Formats: sequence, structure tokens, C-alpha cells
Amino acid sequence: MRRLLSRLATSPQGIMLATGIVLAVLFSVANPVFLSAPNIVDLLRNAIVTGIFAIGVLIVLASGGIDVSFTAIGAFALYATTKLLIVSGIHPPMLAIFAIGIAIGVALGFVNGLLIGLLGLPTLIVTLATLSLFRGALLTFVGTLYYGTIPAEMVAYSRQPLLAFHLASGRVVQLPLAFGNFVLVAGFAALILGSTMFGRKIYALGGSEEAAARIGIDVRRVKLAIFMLVGGIAGLAGVTHVTLMRIANPFDLVGSELNVIAAVVLGGARITGGHGTVSGTIIGVLVITMINSSLLLIGVPTYWQRLVVGGLILFGTGLPIAIERFNLHRARLRAAAGPTVTVQAPV
Amino acid sequence: MTIKHKVFAVGLALALAGGGAAVTQAQTKKYTITTVVKIAGVAWFNRMEQGVALFAKDTGQNATQVGPASADAALQNQIVEDLIAKKVDAITVVPNSPESMEPVLKKALDSKIVVVGHEGSNLENVTYDVEAFDNAAFGAHLMDNLAKAMGEEGEYAVFVGHLTAKTHNQWVDAAIARQKDKYPKMKLVADKQESLEDQQVAYTKTKELLQAHPNLKGIQGSASTDVAGAALAVEDAGLGSQVNVVGTSLPSIAGPYITSGTIKAISFWDPAKAAYVVDKVAVMALEGKKVEDGMNFGQEGYEKVTLKGHVITGQAWVDCTKDNLSTFNF
Repeated sequence: MRRLLSRLATSPQGIMLATGIVLAVLFSVANPVFLSAPNIVDLLRNAIVTGIFAIGVLIVLASGGIDVSFTAIGAFALYATTKLLIVSGIHPPMLAIFAIGIAIGVALGFVNGLLIGLLGLPTLIVTLATLSLFRGALLTFVGTLYYGTIPAEMVAYSRQPLLAFHLASGRVVQLPLAFGNFVLVAGFAALILGSTMFGRKIYALGGSEEAAARIGIDVRRVKLAIFMLVGGIAGLAGVTHVTLMRIANPFDLVGSELNVIAAVVLGGARITGGHGTVSGTIIGVLVITMINSSLLLIGVPTYWQRLVVGGLILFGTGLPIAIERFNLHRARLRAAAGPTVTVQAPV
Repeated sequence: MTIKHKVFAVGLALALAGGGAAVTQAQTKKYTITTVVKIAGVAWFNRMEQGVALFAKDTGQNATQVGPASADAALQNQIVEDLIAKKVDAITVVPNSPESMEPVLKKALDSKIVVVGHEGSNLENVTYDVEAFDNAAFGAHLMDNLAKAMGEEGEYAVFVGHLTAKTHNQWVDAAIARQKDKYPKMKLVADKQESLEDQQVAYTKTKELLQAHPNLKGIQGSASTDVAGAALAVEDAGLGSQVNVVGTSLPSIAGPYITSGTIKAISFWDPAKAAYVVDKVAVMALEGKKVEDGMNFGQEGYEKVTLKGHVITGQAWVDCTKDNLSTFNF
């Protein structure tokens, strides 16, 4: 038990979880409403799109790359899918609508994958370029008009709750069905990263691309597959966003990249690759969402909110690193005291 | 195209025939007037283009509209440069960044081109600037709408797109001042909320407001997506009958919530009418006529404009409610 606790306390997820709990306690002291059921349900709802995007970013980070184009892919998928349905007048079931969005995402991810995998260009440069390229193509060739009235299937879907209850005050509290998308994507990613050869290859690539190539991994194909997968996830996030906001706005999503990447890094993934877990990412997403959507509740004045968000992110990412340094330092001291102790750097 | 060619041909013929008698021909000369908007293809500026087209049809002037593919100040400057090179008679402009446009607009004025601005009351290098309304008067009007929706009592909250957005803050400050002055039973809760012009943020903050202030009865939005985000949050919480939303928006964005009744009224100005007046002012300037305080431009809201320096201001706000929603297509 003690060993389990100490392992938890030294893992990035564990430290992030502890930080999240400390913040939650502070917030609920400031305003007890924070811990009320409606607020927690709202928090989960607000985490859906960030969460789905974050799972995609986690996969890229684990493979040693970085992706900043995913919001443009999401925006493209959300707008192109909705426009296709409205212009053509077809009424496919919701599952097919999601499939269209995912297909658009996979196709755009394929472009990223070709440039990165086959041409071997750096991920940051390529995705910075395609962020602008995909968005520009969307606004130039697909359209710039808002659709305030979205297809009936999407509205019907968005009204279906996964969980709903009424409060005495007459307020309705509901978690939309779309939360299931986040759960499914997270489960799917956990399965791939944890239990498949493809998952092992992703981490191997992130650890050392050279070494991965030498043990016989086809690096180019794995990279192509990663970016197609991540594109599909971004496409799903985009269509999910439409159903949540009930408006197809081609200017949405782009601009939230850093918020999502911050959530994934908070959750223990490293920009340098090879590390990161789905559970950690979920914790990171929840903490970021909590920080972004509770400051008004606890009475932080509007002018202070960005300052506080920045400070808390710095605190959240800095603390795990500080604790890791401290542990490493203690291990070194112990090693110096007695040569019989074997040193194992915490992962 | 053929109309354009005809207009051009007529202009050319007149120019050839005219020679020294230019003054007597001022009445019939066709001018080329180009409107440069912030960005092409969005609903707002498509509507503005309808006003430009109507003006061209009504007057026979060669009035057209152009705009960059993205709301980019540099691209807009480039378009103005091109128009100067083409020697158009007048440029009317809705600037993305008024400050960064001054040099190129000065160049236009130096080339004897008439320049009329819109949404740029602090522009210096313009012949005239046309504003749909005074921001403070508009803000007070929004508060009147909110007060009416709330029965002149209860708690309300306000949104601005960015705390640094000058016009949004002018609207909201004037609205709050109006409430303190005229509606003592209403009370502002929390300070100005910042939506970052993002509907998702407006949604999230509205949910928080509903948690923190369960008695909230009204919300006023500033950015066009504020009211849509706020109304969706209110409806998701099942509080559509308790909380009333008003603000600045467009029928194409707020439509579904106006129909459902959560948004009681949205206000805006009609870009088509503004463009019509802007072009009319341009022609007056080309003909050497002066705009005067109290003049009537024959468009709704511009019947009695005020003139301060070179800024022409109307009272051209439009309210859209359930009753007239179907009459708007932008």
C-alpha cells in the first residue's frame, strides 16, 4: 500500500491528480457551489471537445512529434460536414454524420502524414503550415457563412442526455450524449497505446526514432498512420463541437491549440516524446477545464482571470518537475551514502 | 459585366465629348466608387454588397465592393493601393485596423481620390466617415431592451468580446449608466464578462453565472456570438422562462433562439443601408457638395444625421424580435 502510494505520488499523473484535488478544495472553500452536481456536470460537458482533441495530441506527443494543425482539421470537418448536409439536403443518421467528419479528418491527416512520414519533414513546421493551409482552404473554398440552423439530426442528438436530472429550483442538469464520444475515444486510445504492437511502435518512435528504425519498425508508415488516426480524432472533435454549440461557425476552434497542448503536457506527456498516458491526459484536461471555467464562480475579477490561469498552469506544470528533481536528488544522496543501494531514476 | 462596360462606355463618351466643359457635366458624370470591406464572403459584408448594388442600380454610378479573403490589414492596404493605381474616383472603406490604414488613405487623398470611411470614426485621412449610430446611444438602447424583457427588475450580467474592444465597452458602459439612471430595481452582478468573441466561452461563462447567481434574470451580449452562447446555456439549464437575453447580433446567428424566445431582441445596424449612405456621401464629395448637420439621406435611420468634424452619425439601429425575424436574410 505504501509503495503504491509512493509510486502514485512520484508519477506525473499522481502529482497532477493531487494538484487538481488541492485546487478543487481551494475552489470549493471559496464557493461551495463548486462541488455541487450541476457545476461538476457542466465541467464535464466543457471538457468534451478539449478532451477528444487532447487524446489525439497525446498520441502525437508520445511518438515524439507535435501537432498544432488539429484545430484546423476539426474546424474543417465541422464546417464541411454541416455544409454538405445542408446544401445536399440529405438526412443520414447521426452515426453516418460522425463518419463523414472522421473521414474528412483522416483525409487531412493523410496530408500531414505524407509530408511528415514520406518526406521526413519536421512535425512542428509541417503542422504549423497545414494549420494555416487547412484553415485558408476552408475559408476560401468551402465558405465563411455561419449556419445558425443546423440539420435536425444534429439538434436531436444534442438534445439527448447521457444523464439528466431536475433540481428543486427548476433547473435542468444534463450531460449530453456527446460525452460518450470522449469516453470512447479515450478508451480506444488506451487500448491502442497499451495493448497493440502499433502502440508499442508509437512509444518506441518517441523514445528514439533511430533505435526504432534499427529494430525494424517502418518509421514512415507508422508516422503516416499516426497522423491519419489523429486527423480522424480531430474530425470527430469538430463534429462533436457542432452538436454541442448548435451552430456551424468556420472561425471556431482554431486558436485553442495551446490550451489543449497545455492540458496534455499537464497530464504528464513530454514534448520530447516517449511518455504520456491516457489517464494522465484526462486528468490534465479536467484540471485545465476546471481552471478555465471556475474563476468567475470563485469571484476572480475578469481582469485577473488570465493572470490566474497562466499562474495556475505554471504551477501545475512546474510542480511535477520540481518534485521529480527533488526525488532524483534524494536518490543521488542515498546512492552516495551507501554503494549497495541501486539507483533507479523515477520515470 | 455588360452593365459595367456600358457605364464605362458612357463615361468615356462623356469624357471625350466634354473637353473643357467639365463643370456642366458634373451632374451626369458616372463615377467609379469602390467599397473595400474587412473580409469578403461573410454574411455581414454580403449584406453590405446588396446595398452597394442597390445604390449602383438607383443612381447608375459604377459602385462595386471588394474585400480580402481574410480580415487582414495588410491585404486590405494592398487592395487600396491597387485601386489608387487604377485611378478610381472614390474609395469607401471599412478598415480592419484604422491606424495602419492612414498612410495608404493619405496616398489616396493625395491622388485626388475621395475617401469615405465606415466604422472608423478616428480615421484622419478621409473626406468623410459615416457611423450608423452613436455608441453611447446604442448602449442605452440595448439596456432599454433588456429592461423591457426583465420587467425592469432583477439581476443582470453583461458580456464584451474583449475587455480591450473599445466599441463593446462603450455600449456596455452606456448600458450600465442607463440602468443606474432609469431602472433602479435592476442590479448588475459580477463585472464585465469577456467572451473572447467565442461562443463556447460565452456558453461556459453563462453556465458559471447561473451557478454563482441563481436569481439571474438578464444577460446582455456584445459580440455577435455572445447571445447565441448565452441563450444555449440558458436553454440547456432549462431556464428559458427565467433568463432573458438581448444584445448585438445577427438574425443568421441568433435566429433559433429568437424563435424559441430565450433571446428577446437583438440589435444591429443594416450594413446595406450604411453602404448606401456611404456611397451617397462619396458622390456628394465628388460633386463638390458639402454634407451638413441634420441632412436627410433618404435611408431609414439616416434621415437626420449629425455632423461632427468629418464624422457623419445616424440613429440607424435595427431591432430584430420574433415578430420581424423572417424579414432579415443575413
